[in-house]
Amino acid sequence: MAAARQDDQVLTVGRSRLGTIFANTGGVLFALVMIFPVYWVLNTALKPRDEVMSFRPYFVPAHPTLDNFSSAIKAENFVEGLINGLVITLLAVAAALVVGFLAALAIARFAFYGRKAIILVILCVQLVPLLALIIPLFLMLQKANLTNSLIGVSLVYLMLLLPYTVWTLRGFIAGIPKELDEAAMIDGCTRAQVFWKIILPLTGPGLVATAVYGFIQAWNEFIIVNTLNSPAKQNLMAWLLQNQTERGTAWGPLMAGAIITSLPVVIFFLLIQRNIATGLTAGAVKG
Amino acid sequence: MQAVDSPTTRPAPPGGGTEQRAAVPRPSRRRRADARVPWLLALPTLVVLVALLAYPLYRMIVLSFQNMRLRELLTGLTPSWVGFDQYEKALTDSTFWGVVGRTAGFTVVSVILSVLAGLGVALLMRRVHPKVRLAMMIAMMFVWALPQLVAAQTFRWLTDSDFGVLNYLIDKLPGVDYANHSWFVNPWQGWSLVTVLVVWAGIPFLAISLSAGLTQVPKELLEAATVDGATSRQALRNITLPILKPLLTIVTTLSVIWNFGLFTQTWVLRDGHPEPYYQTLATYSYTQAFGQSKYSYGSAIAVITVLLMLGVMVFYIRQMFKIGEVD
Repeated sequence: MAAARQDDQVLTVGRSRLGTIFANTGGVLFALVMIFPVYWVLNTALKPRDEVMSFRPYFVPAHPTLDNFSSAIKAENFVEGLINGLVITLLAVAAALVVGFLAALAIARFAFYGRKAIILVILCVQLVPLLALIIPLFLMLQKANLTNSLIGVSLVYLMLLLPYTVWTLRGFIAGIPKELDEAAMIDGCTRAQVFWKIILPLTGPGLVATAVYGFIQAWNEFIIVNTLNSPAKQNLMAWLLQNQTERGTAWGPLMAGAIITSLPVVIFFLLIQRNIATGLTAGAVKG
Repeated sequence: MQAVDSPTTRPAPPGGGTEQRAAVPRPSRRRRADARVPWLLALPTLVVLVALLAYPLYRMIVLSFQNMRLRELLTGLTPSWVGFDQYEKALTDSTFWGVVGRTAGFTVVSVILSVLAGLGVALLMRRVHPKVRLAMMIAMMFVWALPQLVAAQTFRWLTDSDFGVLNYLIDKLPGVDYANHSWFVNPWQGWSLVTVLVVWAGIPFLAISLSAGLTQVPKELLEAATVDGATSRQALRNITLPILKPLLTIVTTLSVIWNFGLFTQTWVLRDGHPEPYYQTLATYSYTQAFGQSKYSYGSAIAVITVLLMLGVMVFYIRQMFKIGEVD
């Protein structure tokens, strides 16, 4: 705390009091403007219909109600969307973790011919706009009879998550000192034992963070699933989109549905936000 | 892509590599088995990427030289080969060029605004009271956590012509009549709204990354500059920004890649049927393929999109190598 105060003092050297007041006001205003749309979702979801459909908006619900939530849950395909979403997401994340961990291990722990090429491929692949691939993917999966199936979407999501998974896990594994491996091997451990007893346990937190981020990615996807599958085989995000187009003006239930749909990812996101903030730009900030 | 690794630019060893290779003793059995291990570990990943990425990419290119329509899709007949016809059709079509120009224009404007806003917020966070900083962080975290679809739907509701709160608030301004104002009739207004949505949703990532970068600026330098009489603007331009440059380059490149692929926001704001003047490359390719069953034409547009982005992607990867993230 003392250190922080000192920092503030250093930073405010030569800065006017007025400037500081100005900055603080700006900061508060910024926070309010940023959060307002989020607040409005909550506000709308809690209002009865006549308060939502009012020419003079209610900035606070006068008669808060949970009706919108029950109406959202009772909407067609909600339960299907929830279950499908969970199945697709968990399948994709689990597969990506297993497959990606092995590749990450190879890149982080072995010096071999072609390593750099693999790294390059992983980096490039992360940048390919996946939407561009949706046409051939649709045609391929259709030919393989995998459209309108949860497996087909899971496969596409696996591809969606894999590059990021490999890349982040590589970072976590590289963070474990190689000397630990070597010491264990000198003591008679085999490569496999080093993996089970050292690398896997020490990458635990990294695996969790990667899994959670993968969950968010897969959970939030709706274009691919909406293209490949019929409404009964889609996830909650696609269900939400369907709701918007079908029940255009029912904003209360729609916003309640939006809250239900985004709640898991918002919670997950807030839990691992530290990792996400540094993940994409790691290395550019040396610390 | 090879330009990144640039093996060709390295001076070749005198006399070629063969002599050197001959000098190395033959690897033992154990060593050779070891050399296979990393490839075996990477194999599943490579299989997935080849099957679900490289092959579709190849199929997309092939498709763009064919003429695949609904008939071929339903009957399973091999679509006819049409050579460069699809590309010719796109490149001579003013609608297509309109889409390209719109996508590029939106990307430039939205990226500049997002990065400037992000930088501004990051700098602001250094000056405010810790409690204000915390409030800013919390607000940004919630915005960041919001799924794209939900964020877009929220804006759709905020700007609803009848019951949207935005019209109500603007209408309060003296002399302005915004009751029942529709935001999407005039494309400039509609696009402003899309831009606001994209910038709003993009600020958290940019501001939080950049503010992490700002902590790396040595305070001694800033202090020394102040003592030497530099104004805060001079200190920003000559000390802070140069140190921040690698990070700024990366986040800007990422923003370009993301915003160039704009899809969700216009899709949701226009209820899944973006009007011609709300089409960007991503939505245009998609609607051509899945709306009009012109799978080949959609593929050709997607190929052109990827080619247009390739330059930016190479730049990004070079940057990643440069800062030493990739070793």
